[in-house]
Amino acid sequence: MNLKKYVTLTRAGIIESLQFRLGTLVIIAGNLLYLIVVYFLWKAIYASAGTDTVNGMTFSDTLIYLVLATALFNFMEMYIVWEMGRGIQSGKITLDLLKPMEYRRYMFWSYSGSFVTQFFFTFLPTFIVVAVVTHGAIHLGINLLFFVVSVIMAVSINYSIDFLVGTICLYTESIWGINIMKQVIVMLLSGATIPIAFFPEPLKTIAYYLPFQSIYNAPLSVLLEGNPAPQTLLTTLGIQLFWCIAMTVLSNLFWKASLRQITVNGG
Amino acid sequence: MSNIIEIKNITKEFKVLNRREGLKGSIKDLFSRDYKIVRAVDNISMNIQQGEIVGYLGPNGAGKSTTIKMMTGILEPTSGEILVGGNVPYENRAKNAQEIGVVFGQRSQLWWALPLVESFKILKDIYGVSDKDYESMIELYKSLVDIEPLLHKPVRQMSLGQRTLSDILASFLHNPKIVFLDEPTIGLDVSMKAKIRTLIHALNKEKNTTVILTTHDMGDVDALCQRIVIIDKGKMLYDNDIEHLKGFFGSYRTLKIRIDGDLKQLAEKIGSELPHFRVSADDEWISILVDEEKSKVIEVLSQLQKSYDIRDMKLEEISTEEVIKKIYEEGVK
Repeated sequence: MNLKKYVTLTRAGIIESLQFRLGTLVIIAGNLLYLIVVYFLWKAIYASAGTDTVNGMTFSDTLIYLVLATALFNFMEMYIVWEMGRGIQSGKITLDLLKPMEYRRYMFWSYSGSFVTQFFFTFLPTFIVVAVVTHGAIHLGINLLFFVVSVIMAVSINYSIDFLVGTICLYTESIWGINIMKQVIVMLLSGATIPIAFFPEPLKTIAYYLPFQSIYNAPLSVLLEGNPAPQTLLTTLGIQLFWCIAMTVLSNLFWKASLRQITVNGG
Repeated sequence: MSNIIEIKNITKEFKVLNRREGLKGSIKDLFSRDYKIVRAVDNISMNIQQGEIVGYLGPNGAGKSTTIKMMTGILEPTSGEILVGGNVPYENRAKNAQEIGVVFGQRSQLWWALPLVESFKILKDIYGVSDKDYESMIELYKSLVDIEPLLHKPVRQMSLGQRTLSDILASFLHNPKIVFLDEPTIGLDVSMKAKIRTLIHALNKEKNTTVILTTHDMGDVDALCQRIVIIDKGKMLYDNDIEHLKGFFGSYRTLKIRIDGDLKQLAEKIGSELPHFRVSADDEWISILVDEEKSKVIEVLSQLQKSYDIRDMKLEEISTEEVIKKIYEEGVK
């Protein structure tokens, strides 16, 4: 495997995303607004509950979780569905398919640059602010290492899901509805908008059996649980690894079958 | 010389849903299994040699893009064989991609937000071009066109002409065996068109690259192609030298005359008097396309002189454009 071409694509992505300074500022401002809403919403929820702890989480636990989830979202969201859908509609996908590289890889590495910039511009600052403001609510130890491993797998799972949904666009040739549906399902079932601890019992069980919780819930619980039992940690990472492999295989197979369908029957 | 592209009896059929009209029809379509088979390419064969520039022509919807997509490996033929540089393109798309370059006049493969030189560097690494080959290619480009001012300009700030030029350079960067140019001069001004034709010609000569050119601009064809292939409704109509094309259709010449009066009406009237020939009118002239095998221009002129007061006249040899138009409209006899 020639690594150079992947590094080149990442580098290009970094340069490209740095061109849009204003866009980054707007995203940061939008996030602040969102977080203010989240703050007051959960404040009201805790006030009406009348206790300090709801579902095993204190107000500050919940808030830290959601702030980091938002930061993680900004960093992981690749808008691959949009990109694939637009490529399919405009026919630009033809040019991407004609690169001497597998399309799935080409797309991933083309967008990997934005991971790097988003990591430094949104995730890292948020993380530092949260760590400083909360005075040690985030345990800084070996869990950071596990967190990194967990996030890498989360990125892979998230990409596979995006790619899978993007492939559906080959058939539907429309993107809006599909993308919104994907977003809602992923955001809810991954625990990105509401911590999974707050889900009612049957939904909680369902959520744990689905791949989505491996995207946000898993890395955040690895990060926030100071001293987890090795057993718990291994289970979390193990489930992630399972989904990581399963979704990669699945999205790859679906893509290949679909592409063949399209090349045979025309698109 | 060896064949770089070999196509044997390829046919491509698409399954298309029979669409119904109206809202009710659209809802029914959601559950419909009522497909019809459309044959976009019908039994086409051709061999193309290394270093040729082939004009691939046909009216809109003739099946040109479908054929090109099969040659690039994006589509798989329904039947028939296709070999590009010894590979079956759809079975090994990535390998085939290494050997070909593509320019679609309507869209760009360059990185929108980045200066051109960055796009070149990315392509260099994606295609695994060595530093030495890259440098010598850039040197060649510099000797052919003035790219210095373009290299550090972001692609999004380029004019269409500059962008097309850059796209063509990008498609040749990895020194492919074949370059497909799909309407490269679309929407460009006259001087830019000339520039691009010169560039394509020079690159073809310099690197012995095979060029497959689809275009609707006969200026491109006249300037670049020794050989043309014409298809319509998926069927091959013509595959031969461009010289041969003009003779192939008999000896046509265009007689232009000027008469006082409403030229449109007069043209219609003359058209009814001369049923074998195509008569049209513009602001100044009435043009009559005369097939000299049927009657001599002089005879037509003397016949017209009897009933009309001809102010002025001129003769034009038939242009490639006229011939192609005739083939599109009437086919090959």
